[in-house]
Amino acid sequence: MDVHALKGWTARVTRGCCMGAILLVLAISPVSARDLAAFAARSGLDVAHAAAKVWAEDAVLVYVENDESVVGSGRSVRWGYLFFSPASQRSRAYSIREGRVIEAEDLSMDFVAPPVSAHWIDSESALAAADEKVGREFREKHGGVIGTMLLARGVFSDGSPDQTNWVLIYTSPGNPSLFVVVDATEGKVRRTWRG
Amino acid sequence: MPTSSLLRHVPAVLGMTVWCAVVLSAPAWGAEPVAPSGMPTEVRVERVRPKHEKYFTLRFLKANRDFIRARLDLLREEPGKSLADAAALDPRFLAYRELMQSALAGVDSVQASEDMRQRRELFASVTELGQLESQLDQLELLLAAQRTRLTALQADFTGHQRTELAVVARGLPADATMLSLTLTLEDGAPVIVTLTDAQRQSLREGGVLELFHGLIEPRDQVIALTLTGSRWPGGDSGFVSIAPARDRLTFLQLDFSRLQPEQGATSLRASTWLLETVAGLTDGAGAQP
Repeated sequence: MDVHALKGWTARVTRGCCMGAILLVLAISPVSARDLAAFAARSGLDVAHAAAKVWAEDAVLVYVENDESVVGSGRSVRWGYLFFSPASQRSRAYSIREGRVIEAEDLSMDFVAPPVSAHWIDSESALAAADEKVGREFREKHGGVIGTMLLARGVFSDGSPDQTNWVLIYTSPGNPSLFVVVDATEGKVRRTWRG
Repeated sequence: MPTSSLLRHVPAVLGMTVWCAVVLSAPAWGAEPVAPSGMPTEVRVERVRPKHEKYFTLRFLKANRDFIRARLDLLREEPGKSLADAAALDPRFLAYRELMQSALAGVDSVQASEDMRQRRELFASVTELGQLESQLDQLELLLAAQRTRLTALQADFTGHQRTELAVVARGLPADATMLSLTLTLEDGAPVIVTLTDAQRQSLREGGVLELFHGLIEPRDQVIALTLTGSRWPGGDSGFVSIAPARDRLTFLQLDFSRLQPEQGATSLRASTWLLETVAGLTDGAGAQP
Protein backbone atom coordinates (compact mmCIF):
# COMPACT_ATOMS: atom_id res chain seq x y z
CA MET A 1 0.00 0.00 0.00
CA ASP A 2 1.53 3.34 -1.03
CA VAL A 3 1.55 6.43 1.17
CA HIS A 4 -1.46 8.05 -0.52
CA ALA A 5 -3.54 4.93 -0.23
CA LEU A 6 -2.60 4.64 3.45
CA LYS A 7 -3.59 8.25 4.10
CA GLY A 8 -6.90 7.73 2.37
CA TRP A 9 -7.55 4.61 4.36
CA THR A 10 -6.73 6.37 7.64
CA ALA A 11 -8.99 9.28 6.73
CA ARG A 12 -11.88 6.95 6.03
CA VAL A 13 -11.37 5.09 9.33
CA THR A 14 -11.40 8.46 11.11
CA ARG A 15 -14.59 9.48 9.33
CA GLY A 16 -16.14 6.17 10.32
CA CYS A 17 -15.25 6.75 13.95
CA CYS A 18 -16.77 10.23 13.82
CA MET A 19 -19.97 8.91 12.32
CA GLY A 20 -20.08 6.24 14.99
CA ALA A 21 -19.69 8.88 17.67
CA ILE A 22 -22.50 10.96 16.24
CA LEU A 23 -24.80 7.94 16.00
CA LEU A 24 -24.02 6.98 19.57
CA VAL A 25 -24.74 10.45 20.87
CA LEU A 26 -28.04 10.43 19.05
CA ALA A 27 -28.85 7.02 20.45
CA ILE A 28 -27.90 7.84 24.03
CA SER A 29 -29.39 11.31 24.38
CA PRO A 30 -33.03 10.20 24.54
CA VAL A 31 -32.04 7.94 27.45
CA SER A 32 -30.16 10.53 29.46
CA ALA A 33 -32.78 13.21 28.81
CA ARG A 34 -35.70 10.86 29.19
CA ASP A 35 -38.62 11.71 31.38
CA LEU A 36 -38.36 10.28 34.85
CA ALA A 37 -41.18 7.95 35.76
CA ALA A 38 -43.97 9.53 37.77
CA PHE A 39 -45.64 7.37 40.40
CA ALA A 40 -48.45 7.52 42.92
CA ALA A 41 -47.56 8.36 46.51
CA ARG A 42 -48.03 4.89 47.94
CA SER A 43 -45.53 3.37 45.52
CA GLY A 44 -42.63 5.10 47.22
CA LEU A 45 -43.72 4.36 50.75
CA ASP A 46 -41.97 1.00 51.10
CA VAL A 47 -38.57 2.43 50.24
CA ALA A 48 -39.03 5.42 52.51
CA HIS A 49 -40.26 3.20 55.31
CA ALA A 50 -37.26 0.89 54.97
CA ALA A 51 -34.92 3.85 55.28
CA ALA A 52 -36.84 5.33 58.19
CA LYS A 53 -36.69 2.09 60.14
CA VAL A 54 -32.92 2.26 59.91
CA TRP A 55 -32.98 5.78 61.28
CA ALA A 56 -35.41 4.97 64.14
CA GLU A 57 -37.07 1.70 64.98
CA ASP A 58 -40.19 3.50 66.19
CA ALA A 59 -40.46 5.80 63.15
CA VAL A 60 -44.01 6.47 62.00
CA LEU A 61 -45.19 8.21 58.84
CA VAL A 62 -46.70 11.59 59.63
CA TYR A 63 -46.72 13.52 56.38
CA VAL A 64 -46.47 13.06 52.60
CA GLU A 65 -46.06 15.76 49.96
CA ASN A 66 -45.23 15.92 46.27
CA ASP A 67 -41.63 17.09 45.80
CA GLU A 68 -42.09 17.65 42.07
CA SER A 69 -45.12 18.74 40.08
CA VAL A 70 -48.21 16.56 40.18
CA VAL A 71 -48.81 15.21 36.71
CA GLY A 72 -51.52 13.21 35.01
CA SER A 73 -53.92 11.52 37.32
CA GLY A 74 -52.15 12.27 40.60
CA ARG A 75 -48.58 11.13 40.12
CA SER A 76 -45.28 12.85 40.68
CA VAL A 77 -41.69 12.11 39.76
CA ARG A 78 -40.69 12.63 43.37
CA TRP A 79 -42.54 12.37 46.66
CA GLY A 80 -41.39 13.40 50.11
CA TYR A 81 -42.20 11.34 53.20
CA LEU A 82 -41.79 12.64 56.73
CA PHE A 83 -41.33 10.28 59.65
CA PHE A 84 -41.45 11.03 63.34
CA SER A 85 -39.75 9.14 66.13
CA PRO A 86 -41.70 9.41 69.41
CA ALA A 87 -38.72 8.14 71.37
CA SER A 88 -36.28 10.74 70.12
CA GLN A 89 -38.88 13.41 69.30
CA ARG A 90 -37.14 14.01 66.00
CA SER A 91 -38.35 14.03 62.41
CA ARG A 92 -36.61 12.91 59.25
CA ALA A 93 -37.66 13.34 55.64
CA TYR A 94 -36.94 11.05 52.69
CA SER A 95 -37.40 12.05 49.08
CA ILE A 96 -38.05 9.13 46.75
CA ARG A 97 -37.53 9.06 43.00
CA GLU A 98 -37.68 5.98 40.82
CA GLY A 99 -37.70 3.66 43.80
CA ARG A 100 -34.61 5.16 45.40
CA VAL A 101 -33.95 7.48 48.30
CA ILE A 102 -32.27 10.45 46.68
CA GLU A 103 -32.45 12.83 49.63
CA ALA A 104 -32.61 12.33 53.36
CA GLU A 105 -32.59 15.11 55.88
CA ASP A 106 -33.46 15.80 59.47
CA LEU A 107 -36.23 18.32 59.81
CA SER A 108 -34.72 21.37 61.39
CA MET A 109 -37.78 22.19 63.44
CA ASP A 110 -39.87 20.64 66.14
CA PHE A 111 -42.72 18.85 64.46
CA VAL A 112 -44.60 16.59 66.80
CA ALA A 113 -47.26 15.16 64.53
CA PRO A 114 -49.57 12.17 64.90
CA PRO A 115 -49.06 9.24 62.52
CA VAL A 116 -51.30 9.03 59.51
CA SER A 117 -53.73 6.13 59.53
CA ALA A 118 -52.50 2.82 58.20
CA HIS A 119 -55.03 2.80 55.39
CA TRP A 120 -55.17 5.79 53.11
CA ILE A 121 -56.23 6.15 49.52
CA ASP A 122 -53.52 6.78 47.01
CA SER A 123 -52.85 10.16 45.45
CA GLU A 124 -54.61 9.21 42.23
CA SER A 125 -57.86 8.40 44.00
CA ALA A 126 -57.62 11.59 46.05
CA LEU A 127 -57.12 13.74 42.96
CA ALA A 128 -59.99 11.99 41.17
CA ALA A 129 -62.32 12.72 44.09
CA ALA A 130 -61.25 16.37 44.30
CA ASP A 131 -61.46 16.85 40.54
CA GLU A 132 -64.92 15.41 40.39
CA LYS A 133 -66.23 17.64 43.13
CA VAL A 134 -64.68 21.03 42.37
CA GLY A 135 -61.20 20.69 40.94
CA ARG A 136 -62.06 20.09 37.31
CA GLU A 137 -64.34 23.11 37.20
CA PHE A 138 -61.63 25.27 38.80
CA ARG A 139 -59.08 24.11 36.27
CA GLU A 140 -61.34 24.77 33.32
CA LYS A 141 -62.69 28.08 34.55
CA HIS A 142 -59.43 29.60 35.79
CA GLY A 143 -56.78 27.67 33.91
CA GLY A 144 -55.69 26.22 37.21
CA VAL A 145 -53.29 23.43 37.98
CA ILE A 146 -52.82 21.15 40.94
CA GLY A 147 -49.88 22.63 42.82
CA THR A 148 -49.59 20.66 46.03
CA MET A 149 -50.90 17.40 47.39
CA LEU A 150 -50.20 16.57 50.98
CA LEU A 151 -51.28 13.85 53.35
CA ALA A 152 -51.50 14.53 57.07
CA ARG A 153 -53.61 13.69 60.03
CA GLY A 154 -55.70 16.24 61.84
CA VAL A 155 -54.15 19.35 60.34
CA PHE A 156 -57.07 20.44 58.16
CA SER A 157 -59.92 18.56 59.78
CA ASP A 158 -61.78 20.71 62.26
CA GLY A 159 -63.83 18.59 64.58
CA SER A 160 -62.23 15.31 63.45
CA PRO A 161 -58.68 15.39 64.75
CA ASP A 162 -58.14 11.71 64.08
CA GLN A 163 -58.99 11.99 60.44
CA THR A 164 -56.20 11.49 57.91
CA ASN A 165 -56.72 13.75 54.94
CA TRP A 166 -55.35 14.49 51.56
CA VAL A 167 -55.21 18.23 51.04
CA LEU A 168 -55.09 19.36 47.42
CA ILE A 169 -54.21 22.91 46.54
CA TYR A 170 -55.13 24.09 43.07
CA THR A 171 -53.45 27.27 41.93
CA SER A 172 -54.28 29.74 39.19
CA PRO A 173 -52.42 32.93 38.27
CA GLY A 174 -54.27 35.96 39.56
CA ASN A 175 -56.86 33.93 41.44
CA PRO A 176 -57.13 32.70 45.01
CA SER A 177 -56.04 29.09 45.37
CA LEU A 178 -58.57 26.34 45.83
CA PHE A 179 -58.12 24.06 48.82
CA VAL A 180 -59.82 20.68 48.82
CA VAL A 181 -59.75 18.32 51.79
CA VAL A 182 -60.36 14.69 50.91
CA ASP A 183 -60.94 12.09 53.61
CA ALA A 184 -58.03 9.73 52.99
CA THR A 185 -59.91 6.77 54.41
CA GLU A 186 -63.22 7.06 52.60
CA GLY A 187 -62.19 9.11 49.59
CA LYS A 188 -64.87 11.76 50.10
CA VAL A 189 -64.40 15.50 49.82
CA ARG A 190 -64.90 17.00 53.29
CA ARG A 191 -64.12 20.67 52.81
CA THR A 192 -63.30 23.19 50.13
CA TRP A 193 -62.35 26.83 50.38
CA ARG A 194 -60.59 29.54 48.45
CA GLY A 195 -57.67 31.40 49.88
CA MET B 1 -21.58 0.01 -7.86
CA PRO B 2 -18.15 -1.30 -8.82
CA THR B 3 -16.31 -3.53 -6.37
CA SER B 4 -13.48 -1.03 -5.94
CA SER B 5 -15.97 1.61 -4.82
CA LEU B 6 -17.47 -0.75 -2.27
CA LEU B 7 -14.04 -1.59 -0.97
CA ARG B 8 -13.35 2.10 -0.40
CA HIS B 9 -16.10 2.17 2.26
CA VAL B 10 -14.80 -0.85 4.17
CA PRO B 11 -12.36 1.14 6.35
CA ALA B 12 -15.06 3.64 7.35
CA VAL B 13 -17.52 0.91 8.28
CA LEU B 14 -14.79 -0.97 10.08
CA GLY B 15 -13.79 2.12 12.07
CA MET B 16 -17.37 2.88 13.03
CA THR B 17 -17.97 -0.70 14.12
CA VAL B 18 -14.84 -0.90 16.25
CA TRP B 19 -15.55 2.48 17.85
CA CYS B 20 -19.12 1.51 18.68
CA ALA B 21 -18.02 -1.82 20.12
CA VAL B 22 -15.46 -0.17 22.36
CA VAL B 23 -17.87 2.48 23.65
CA LEU B 24 -20.81 0.15 24.13
CA SER B 25 -18.72 -2.34 26.03
CA ALA B 26 -17.62 0.38 28.48
CA PRO B 27 -19.61 0.97 31.67
CA ALA B 28 -22.56 3.36 31.40
CA TRP B 29 -21.57 7.00 31.79
CA GLY B 30 -22.23 8.40 35.21
CA ALA B 31 -23.55 5.11 36.49
CA GLU B 32 -23.02 4.25 40.12
CA PRO B 33 -20.65 1.40 40.74
CA VAL B 34 -22.82 -1.62 41.17
CA ALA B 35 -21.58 -4.57 43.13
CA PRO B 36 -23.27 -7.69 41.87
CA SER B 37 -23.87 -10.32 44.48
CA GLY B 38 -20.61 -11.75 45.65
CA MET B 39 -18.49 -9.90 43.09
CA PRO B 40 -16.27 -7.20 44.60
CA THR B 41 -16.18 -3.85 42.86
CA GLU B 42 -13.30 -1.47 43.38
CA VAL B 43 -14.28 1.92 44.78
CA ARG B 44 -12.06 4.98 44.94
CA VAL B 45 -11.04 6.69 48.11
CA GLU B 46 -11.25 10.40 47.34
CA ARG B 47 -9.32 13.15 49.04
CA VAL B 48 -12.24 15.59 48.84
CA ARG B 49 -15.80 14.70 49.81
CA PRO B 50 -17.74 14.11 46.57
CA LYS B 51 -20.41 16.70 45.87
CA HIS B 52 -23.96 15.53 46.29
CA GLU B 53 -26.73 17.30 44.42
CA LYS B 54 -29.16 18.76 46.90
CA TYR B 55 -32.84 18.11 46.29
CA PHE B 56 -35.45 20.20 48.04
CA THR B 57 -38.14 18.29 49.82
CA LEU B 58 -41.41 19.05 51.62
CA ARG B 59 -41.50 22.64 50.38
CA PHE B 60 -45.09 23.34 51.39
CA LEU B 61 -44.52 22.04 54.89
CA LYS B 62 -41.43 24.17 55.37
CA ALA B 63 -43.05 27.26 53.89
CA ASN B 64 -46.11 26.90 56.11
CA ARG B 65 -44.57 25.32 59.14
CA ASP B 66 -45.87 27.85 61.64
CA PHE B 67 -49.43 27.41 60.45
CA ILE B 68 -49.23 23.62 60.41
CA ARG B 69 -47.56 23.44 63.80
CA ALA B 70 -50.23 25.71 65.22
CA ARG B 71 -52.90 23.40 63.86
CA LEU B 72 -51.16 20.39 65.35
CA ASP B 73 -50.82 22.12 68.70
CA LEU B 74 -54.59 22.39 68.85
CA LEU B 75 -54.84 18.62 68.58
CA ARG B 76 -52.49 17.88 71.44
CA GLU B 77 -53.94 16.99 74.80
CA GLU B 78 -51.98 18.22 77.78
CA PRO B 79 -52.19 15.77 80.71
CA GLY B 80 -52.78 17.30 84.12
CA LYS B 81 -50.11 15.23 85.74
CA SER B 82 -47.13 13.35 84.52
CA LEU B 83 -47.67 9.80 83.45
CA ALA B 84 -45.41 6.87 84.08
CA ASP B 85 -43.27 5.92 81.13
CA ALA B 86 -44.24 2.66 79.57
CA ALA B 87 -42.94 1.30 76.35
CA ALA B 88 -45.28 -0.67 74.17
CA LEU B 89 -44.62 -4.39 74.24
CA ASP B 90 -43.84 -6.02 70.97
CA PRO B 91 -46.82 -8.33 70.33
CA ARG B 92 -44.45 -10.96 68.99
CA PHE B 93 -42.91 -11.46 72.41
CA LEU B 94 -46.33 -12.04 73.93
CA ALA B 95 -46.99 -14.52 71.18
CA TYR B 96 -43.78 -16.44 71.98
CA ARG B 97 -44.88 -16.83 75.57
CA GLU B 98 -48.27 -18.11 74.53
CA LEU B 99 -46.68 -20.52 72.11
CA MET B 100 -44.36 -21.80 74.81
CA GLN B 101 -47.26 -22.20 77.27
CA SER B 102 -49.33 -24.12 74.78
CA ALA B 103 -46.34 -26.30 73.98
CA LEU B 104 -45.62 -26.97 77.67
CA ALA B 105 -49.28 -27.67 78.40
CA GLY B 106 -48.84 -30.89 76.54
CA VAL B 107 -45.85 -31.91 78.66
CA ASP B 108 -47.89 -32.61 81.79
CA SER B 109 -50.28 -34.78 79.87
CA VAL B 110 -47.43 -36.70 78.37
CA GLN B 111 -45.81 -37.16 81.80
CA ALA B 112 -49.03 -38.49 83.31
CA SER B 113 -49.43 -40.91 80.49
CA GLU B 114 -45.86 -42.02 80.94
CA ASP B 115 -46.41 -42.80 84.66
CA MET B 116 -49.42 -44.84 83.83
CA ARG B 117 -47.48 -46.67 81.22
CA GLN B 118 -44.73 -47.57 83.69
CA ARG B 119 -47.22 -49.09 86.11
CA ARG B 120 -48.21 -51.62 83.57
CA GLU B 121 -45.65 -54.25 82.82
CA LEU B 122 -47.13 -55.74 79.73
CA PHE B 123 -49.35 -54.60 76.97
CA ALA B 124 -51.83 -57.36 77.35
CA SER B 125 -54.68 -56.14 75.30
CA VAL B 126 -55.59 -54.24 72.18
CA THR B 127 -56.97 -51.49 74.42
CA GLU B 128 -53.54 -50.84 75.88
CA LEU B 129 -52.06 -50.67 72.43
CA GLY B 130 -54.67 -48.06 71.63
CA GLN B 131 -53.60 -46.06 74.67
CA LEU B 132 -50.01 -46.19 73.50
CA GLU B 133 -51.08 -44.89 70.16
CA SER B 134 -52.85 -42.06 71.91
CA GLN B 135 -49.68 -41.21 73.80
CA LEU B 136 -47.75 -41.12 70.57
CA ASP B 137 -50.34 -38.76 69.15
CA GLN B 138 -49.85 -36.50 72.14
CA LEU B 139 -46.11 -36.53 71.60
CA GLU B 140 -46.64 -35.60 67.99
CA LEU B 141 -48.86 -32.72 69.01
CA LEU B 142 -46.18 -31.56 71.40
CA LEU B 143 -43.57 -31.69 68.68
CA ALA B 144 -45.86 -29.82 66.30
CA ALA B 145 -46.38 -27.06 68.86
CA GLN B 146 -42.65 -26.72 69.40
CA ARG B 147 -42.09 -26.66 65.65
CA THR B 148 -44.62 -23.84 65.32
CA ARG B 149 -42.83 -21.87 68.01
CA LEU B 150 -39.43 -22.39 66.41
CA THR B 151 -40.80 -21.42 63.01
CA ALA B 152 -42.13 -18.17 64.45
CA LEU B 153 -38.78 -17.44 66.08
CA GLN B 154 -36.90 -18.23 62.90
CA ALA B 155 -39.16 -16.08 60.75
CA ASP B 156 -38.79 -13.11 63.06
CA PHE B 157 -35.10 -13.26 63.74
CA THR B 158 -33.40 -14.90 60.80
CA GLY B 159 -35.72 -14.55 57.85
CA HIS B 160 -35.54 -10.86 57.05
CA GLN B 161 -32.35 -9.24 55.90
CA ARG B 162 -32.38 -5.51 56.56
CA THR B 163 -30.22 -2.92 54.88
CA GLU B 164 -26.87 -3.31 56.59
CA LEU B 165 -23.28 -2.37 56.05
CA ALA B 166 -20.26 -4.33 57.20
CA VAL B 167 -16.88 -2.63 56.95
CA VAL B 168 -13.93 -4.99 57.15
CA ALA B 169 -10.21 -4.39 57.01
CA ARG B 170 -7.34 -6.54 55.88
CA GLY B 171 -3.61 -6.15 55.51
CA LEU B 172 -1.23 -3.69 57.12
CA PRO B 173 1.06 -1.12 55.53
CA ALA B 174 4.70 -2.11 55.44
CA ASP B 175 6.08 1.35 56.13
CA ALA B 176 3.77 2.65 58.80
CA THR B 177 2.08 1.62 61.99
CA MET B 178 -1.69 1.89 62.00
CA LEU B 179 -3.13 3.04 65.28
CA SER B 180 -6.78 3.67 64.60
CA LEU B 181 -9.41 4.22 61.97
CA THR B 182 -12.44 6.46 62.26
CA LEU B 183 -15.52 5.81 60.12
CA THR B 184 -18.22 8.43 59.82
CA LEU B 185 -21.42 7.60 58.01
CA GLU B 186 -23.55 10.40 56.60
CA ASP B 187 -25.70 11.86 59.36
CA GLY B 188 -24.08 9.43 61.77
CA ALA B 189 -21.74 9.59 64.71
CA PRO B 190 -18.07 8.70 64.14
CA VAL B 191 -17.07 5.12 64.87
CA ILE B 192 -13.51 4.99 66.18
CA VAL B 193 -11.71 1.66 65.98
CA THR B 194 -8.42 1.56 67.83
CA LEU B 195 -6.26 -1.32 66.72
CA THR B 196 -4.78 -3.50 69.41
CA ASP B 197 -1.48 -5.34 69.06
CA ALA B 198 -3.37 -8.61 68.63
CA GLN B 199 -5.51 -7.14 65.86
CA ARG B 200 -2.45 -5.75 64.10
CA GLN B 201 -0.80 -9.14 64.35
CA SER B 202 -3.91 -10.80 62.95
CA LEU B 203 -4.04 -8.38 60.02
CA ARG B 204 -0.35 -8.92 59.39
CA GLU B 205 -0.96 -12.67 59.17
CA GLY B 206 -3.81 -12.30 56.67
CA GLY B 207 -6.72 -11.99 59.04
CA VAL B 208 -9.79 -9.87 58.45
CA LEU B 209 -11.04 -7.41 61.03
CA GLU B 210 -14.63 -6.22 61.26
CA LEU B 211 -14.61 -2.48 61.84
CA PHE B 212 -18.32 -1.79 61.66
CA HIS B 213 -21.51 -3.74 61.21
CA GLY B 214 -24.84 -1.99 61.45
CA LEU B 215 -27.94 -0.70 59.76
CA ILE B 216 -27.55 1.86 57.03
CA GLU B 217 -30.06 3.84 55.01
CA PRO B 218 -30.51 2.44 51.49
CA ARG B 219 -29.27 5.46 49.54
CA ASP B 220 -26.13 6.79 47.92
CA GLN B 221 -23.87 8.14 50.58
CA VAL B 222 -20.33 9.03 51.43
CA ILE B 223 -18.32 7.47 54.24
CA ALA B 224 -15.51 9.50 55.71
CA LEU B 225 -12.39 7.57 56.73
CA THR B 226 -9.67 8.96 58.96
CA LEU B 227 -6.47 7.05 59.57
CA THR B 228 -4.12 7.69 62.40
CA GLY B 229 -0.74 6.10 62.74
CA SER B 230 2.96 6.67 63.01
CA ARG B 231 3.01 8.50 59.68
CA TRP B 232 -0.25 10.36 60.20
CA PRO B 233 -0.26 11.49 63.82
CA GLY B 234 -2.80 14.18 63.09
CA GLY B 235 -4.97 11.87 61.02
CA ASP B 236 -5.39 11.55 57.28
CA SER B 237 -8.83 11.54 55.70
CA GLY B 238 -10.48 10.12 52.60
CA PHE B 239 -14.02 9.62 51.36
CA VAL B 240 -15.68 6.55 49.86
CA SER B 241 -18.99 6.63 47.99
CA ILE B 242 -21.25 3.63 48.43
CA ALA B 243 -24.79 2.76 47.41
CA PRO B 244 -26.15 0.17 49.86
CA ALA B 245 -28.87 -1.95 48.32
CA ARG B 246 -32.17 -2.12 50.18
CA ASP B 247 -32.65 -5.17 52.40
CA ARG B 248 -29.20 -6.50 51.58
CA LEU B 249 -25.93 -6.75 53.45
CA THR B 250 -23.28 -4.65 51.75
CA PHE B 251 -19.64 -5.27 52.48
CA LEU B 252 -16.98 -2.58 52.24
CA GLN B 253 -13.44 -3.92 52.43
CA LEU B 254 -10.49 -1.66 53.15
CA ASP B 255 -7.15 -3.12 52.23
CA PHE B 256 -4.32 -1.44 54.12
CA SER B 257 -1.55 -3.56 52.65
CA ARG B 258 -0.77 -1.13 49.81
CA LEU B 259 -1.19 1.99 51.86
CA GLN B 260 1.43 4.56 50.87
CA PRO B 261 2.51 6.76 53.78
CA GLU B 262 2.90 9.77 51.52
CA GLN B 263 -0.52 9.44 49.90
CA GLY B 264 -2.30 8.42 53.08
CA ALA B 265 -5.96 7.42 53.01
CA THR B 266 -6.36 7.92 49.28
CA SER B 267 -4.00 5.03 48.62
CA LEU B 268 -6.29 2.64 50.45
CA ARG B 269 -7.72 -0.04 48.22
CA ALA B 270 -11.43 -0.28 48.80
CA SER B 271 -13.94 -2.67 47.32
CA THR B 272 -17.59 -3.41 47.90
CA TRP B 273 -19.91 -6.34 47.30
CA LEU B 274 -23.25 -7.72 48.38
CA LEU B 275 -23.85 -10.80 50.44
CA GLU B 276 -25.40 -13.27 48.04
CA THR B 277 -28.30 -14.70 49.98
CA VAL B 278 -29.50 -15.27 53.48
CA ALA B 279 -29.02 -18.98 52.84
CA GLY B 280 -25.35 -18.25 52.33
CA LEU B 281 -25.15 -17.18 55.95
CA THR B 282 -26.65 -20.32 57.32
CA ASP B 283 -24.58 -22.81 55.42
CA GLY B 284 -21.35 -20.97 55.95
CA ALA B 285 -20.91 -20.32 52.25
CA GLY B 286 -20.73 -16.56 52.50
CA ALA B 287 -19.92 -14.53 49.48
CA GLN B 288 -16.66 -13.04 50.62
CA PRO B 289 -14.19 -13.31 47.79
